[in-house]
Amino acid sequence: MLKNYLIVAFRNLKRNKAFSFINIFGLALGMVCSLLIMLWVLDEKSMDTWHANDSRLFVVYEQQTYDGKVEAGYYTPGLLYQELKKNIPEVEMATGFNPGTDNATFEAGEKIMKVKGTFTGADFFRMFSYPLLKGDRNTVLKDPSGMAISRSMANNFFGSPDSAIGKTIRFENKSVFTVAGVFEDLPNNDSRRFQYLINWEAYVKENQWLTEWGNNGPHTYIMLRADANPALVEKKIAKFLDNYNKYLDANFKIELHLQKWSDMYLHSNFKNGKIAGGRIEYTHIFSVVAIFILLIACINFMNLATARSMKRAKEIGVRKVVGAVRSSLIRQFIGEAILISFFAVLLAILFLALLLPAFNLLTNKQIEFPFRSWTFWLSLAGLVIITGFIAGSYPALFLSSFRPIAVLKGTLRLSPTSASLRKGLVVFQFMLSIILIVGTIVVSEQIKYVQTKNLGYNKENLIYIPVEGDLTTKYTLFKQQALKTPGIQLVSRTNQAPTRIENSTFGVKWDGKDPNARIAFTQVSVGYDYAKTLKLSFKEGRDFSLDFPTDSTNYLINEQALKRIGYKDPVGKPLTFWEKKGTIVGVLKDFHVNSMHAPIVPLVIRLSETDPWGSILVRTDPGKTQLALTGIEKLCKELNPKFPFTYQFADQEYQKLYSEEKTVEKLSDCFAVLAIVISCLGLLGLAMFTAEQRTREIGIRKVLGASIQSLFALLSKDFLKLVLVAFLIACPLAWWIMRGWLQNFEYRIPVSWWAFALAGVAALMIALCTISFQAIKAALANPVKSLRTE
Amino acid sequence: MLELKHISKWYNVGGKPTFILKDINLKINDGEFVSIMGPSGSGKSTLLHIIGMLDDASEGEYNFMDQAVHTLREKQRSQLYKQHIGFVFQAYHLIDELTVYENIETPLIYQNIKSSERKAMVADILDRFQIVGKKDLFPTQLSGGQQQLVGIARALIAKPRLLLADEPTGNLNSRQGEEIMDLFKQLNKDGVTIIQVTHSEKNAGYGSHIINLLDGRVEQ
Repeated sequence: MLKNYLIVAFRNLKRNKAFSFINIFGLALGMVCSLLIMLWVLDEKSMDTWHANDSRLFVVYEQQTYDGKVEAGYYTPGLLYQELKKNIPEVEMATGFNPGTDNATFEAGEKIMKVKGTFTGADFFRMFSYPLLKGDRNTVLKDPSGMAISRSMANNFFGSPDSAIGKTIRFENKSVFTVAGVFEDLPNNDSRRFQYLINWEAYVKENQWLTEWGNNGPHTYIMLRADANPALVEKKIAKFLDNYNKYLDANFKIELHLQKWSDMYLHSNFKNGKIAGGRIEYTHIFSVVAIFILLIACINFMNLATARSMKRAKEIGVRKVVGAVRSSLIRQFIGEAILISFFAVLLAILFLALLLPAFNLLTNKQIEFPFRSWTFWLSLAGLVIITGFIAGSYPALFLSSFRPIAVLKGTLRLSPTSASLRKGLVVFQFMLSIILIVGTIVVSEQIKYVQTKNLGYNKENLIYIPVEGDLTTKYTLFKQQALKTPGIQLVSRTNQAPTRIENSTFGVKWDGKDPNARIAFTQVSVGYDYAKTLKLSFKEGRDFSLDFPTDSTNYLINEQALKRIGYKDPVGKPLTFWEKKGTIVGVLKDFHVNSMHAPIVPLVIRLSETDPWGSILVRTDPGKTQLALTGIEKLCKELNPKFPFTYQFADQEYQKLYSEEKTVEKLSDCFAVLAIVISCLGLLGLAMFTAEQRTREIGIRKVLGASIQSLFALLSKDFLKLVLVAFLIACPLAWWIMRGWLQNFEYRIPVSWWAFALAGVAALMIALCTISFQAIKAALANPVKSLRTE
Repeated sequence: MLELKHISKWYNVGGKPTFILKDINLKINDGEFVSIMGPSGSGKSTLLHIIGMLDDASEGEYNFMDQAVHTLREKQRSQLYKQHIGFVFQAYHLIDELTVYENIETPLIYQNIKSSERKAMVADILDRFQIVGKKDLFPTQLSGGQQQLVGIARALIAKPRLLLADEPTGNLNSRQGEEIMDLFKQLNKDGVTIIQVTHSEKNAGYGSHIINLLDGRVEQ
C-alpha cells in the first residue's frame, strides 16, 4: 500500500513540476528559516549553562528601595562575597567578579599587547568549569601575585601554555603578576569574554573603594552546597546587608536576591526591582516569527492542494469505488504531504549549510552545523512530520470527504466554503507578511532615529583616548602638546566617556534638602574645556575655567538635576558633593548619556584632572581625523611609550549601544523578505491554478470581444482584494505589536502612518507583479485553443 | 442475491422533492445478467449506484446477500461492497498516475492482500485478458477499448460475485463494444452476476432480463 502511495506521489510531483517546485521550494524556505531560528534560540538558551555546577551557581543582585522607587542591579559591594561565604553555611564557595572587562596593557619581554580581561576571587576556578590547561584549580588565583591567562594569550606572549606557566608579566606598566594558570580559550557558548583573570587582592589594592560597604561595583557569584535550597538561602540573605551598610535606614533599603547564574545571559533586565526579561524576549519573538513563517509555507501547500483537488478528485473517486476507506485516503494524502516536506527538508538542509556562515555574521554567533547532534536530526524528523501533518491535514480531510459518485459523474461542485477557506488562508499569509514588513520599517526607523537624534553633545569628530600609564600624570602636558598638533581643535578629559556614564551617588546635598532623603545623582568628573569639547550648551552659567582657582570644588549640573534640587537661580548657589562644599557655576542643557533606552538622569559634573582612569576627549577638525590621529599617536608614543596607542571614535562607541537592536533589524529584514517571498510563491501557484481553471471562461469572453485589459483586471481583482483585506487586519495588529517594542526605548518615534502605507503598497505591488504574469499569459492565450480542449 | 423494496430517491429543489427513483421493487438472483434501460434522466445510473452502495436511497429497504444494507454503517458497507462488487464505468475511470498493472492491483491493496498473492492474481488476470504486454503502460497510452478492458480487469480482480457496469461500451466503437459484451457474456457464464446500464437494444440483448425505467419507475 505504501509503495502504491509513494509511486502516485512521485508521479504527481513529476507531472506538475511548477506546483511541486512551489510546494517544495516554499516549504524549504520556511523550514530553513525556522531551522536557523531554532539553532539561534538553542544557542542563546545554552549560553553559560555548560558549567558542571550550573544548578548550584547563583548571582546575587541587589534590590534597592529609595526615593519612592525600587531598582535592582547586579552591582554589589566588593566585600560581600567573603562575608556571605563566612556567615551563610549554605554558601559553599563565592567570588567577586569585576564585570567591566576592559582592555589592559601587558608586557612580557619585548612584547606589549592589549588584552581583555578582569579580576576575580580565588574560588573562581573551583566554581566554574573553565578548563585549566596548566596550574591548580584551587590555588591559581590565591596568591596576590598570581593570575591566569588564556591559551591564546599564552601563545601570543610566550609561544605556548607550557612555557607561559611561572613566567612574570607586567600589568598596565605598574604591577607584575606571575602566570599561575593557563585556561582554555572560552567556548562559544560562554557569554563572558575574558582572556586573563587577576586575583581579587590585587584588585582591592588598586581600588580602595571596594573596602567600603557603601560602594557597589563588582558582581557577586556564589555556589551553594549541593543540599541547599536556593529559595531558603535567598530568604536568609535578604536582609544581610543591614548589618554591614551603615547608610541603610527607613529611606534606603537594600534586599539581596539570588538568580541562577546561567540565567543572567537571557534575563538581565530589571524593572521596578524585579527581573523582567532581557534577551529572552528576542528568542520568544523570533520563535513566534519562525512558527509564522513555517505556517505561511504550510498554507501555500494547503491552498495549492485544495485548489488542485478537482484534478485529483477522480483518483479519489476511483479509489473509493474500488474499496478505499476514508482513513486510508487520509493516510495517503498526509503521507504525500510528509513526502513533500521530506524533500523540502532535504533542500532546507542544503540551504542551511549554505546560509549558516552568513547567518553567523548577521547575528554575531558561531553556530556550527550540528551534524553530530542526534537531537537536531530528531527535531528535523519531527519538523518533517509536523509540517507534513499541518500542510497535509486539510487537503487530506477535504479530499477524502468527496462522494465518489459525484466525482465520477462530474457533478461535484466545490463548496463555497473551501474557496472561502482558501481566501482566508491567503489573507492570513499576507497579514503576517505585512506585519513583518511594518515591523521591519519601524525597527529600522527607530534605529535611524536613535542614531541621528541630537544627543545634546556632538559625537562626530570626537575621539576617546584611554587615560593609562604615564598619561595619568602627564595629561596637562599632553593637552598642551596636542593643541599645537594640526587637526585638533580642543582637548578635555573625563573619568567616564559620555556614551557610558554609569556612576551614581547619594552624596549630593544642597540647601533645603530633606536630610533623610536618598536621591541618586549620576556623577562624572571632567577636565577643563569639557563642555566646549563635547559642544554642550549652557542653560546658564559658565564652564569650569582656570581663571577661577576655586573651581575644583564647584559643580556643573544638568536640567534634570536642577529639577531635583529645585533652586530658582542656581548659579552661585551652594552644593555639597561627597562632603566637599562648593557652588553651582553652570547649568547644562540636558544631553543624552548612555543609550536611548534610558531616560536622561540628574547629573552632577565635578572638576578633576587627576583621576587615574578615564578617557581623554579630543575634538578634531572635520575631515582632518587622520592627520589628528597621526599627531596624537606620535604624542602618545612619546609620553606613554610602554602602552600601545589605542583610540575610539565617539560615534562608533555610540552605535555599539544598539548592537542588539541592529541584529534584530537585520534579522527582521531577512524574515520579512522571506515571508513575502513565500506568500507570493503561494499566490503565484493560486494564480496559475485560477488561470488554468478559467481558461474556458477567458476563451469565451475573448471570443465575445473582451479586451486584454479587462481580462487582466478580471483575473487580478480577486487576489488584490484579499491583499487589501489582509492589510486592513494587519494594520492594527502591527501597530499594537510595534508600540510594545518601542516601549523598550525611553526616546522613540511614533508608529507613523506611512510605515503602514509603505508596507501595504509594497505587499500590493509584489502581489500584483506575481499575479500579473499569469494573468497576462492567460489573457493573451489564443481562445480557439482553449475552447477546443473542451 | 439482492432485493430492493420500495426504494425511492429524491432531491429537494426549491423546497420541493424531485424524484429520481420512485418506489422501485426489484429482485435479482445469482447468475442473472440484467440490463437496465431507459431514456436519459430516467434514473438508471442512480439505481445502479444504489445497488452498488455508492449512493443512499432516500427511502426503502435494500437487502444484499442477506444483509440489510440500509441499516449498515459506512464502514461496514464499504467492507461489503469491496468484497462482493466490481464496478465498470463508461469513462473507464482508471488512475492516470498508475500503470495498467498498478491500476489492476489497487483493489487488492485495499483488501490487505499480501504482495506475493497480489502478484499472482494480477498476473493471472493480465494473462486472461491478454494484456500482459501492456502492463507497464499508463492509461493515456491505451486505446479506449484497451482502457475499458483494464477497467473490467480491475473490477474482476478481487473475484466479485456482482459486476455493475454503467454504459460500459458508451465510449467505444461498435467493434470494441462487441468484444466487451462478449467478454461480459463469458463472465456471466462463469458465474458472475452482472447488472449493466445501457442505451443500446443490442447490448441489452446480451442479458437474460431487461428492466425498463421511465421517470424513476420500472415500466412493467
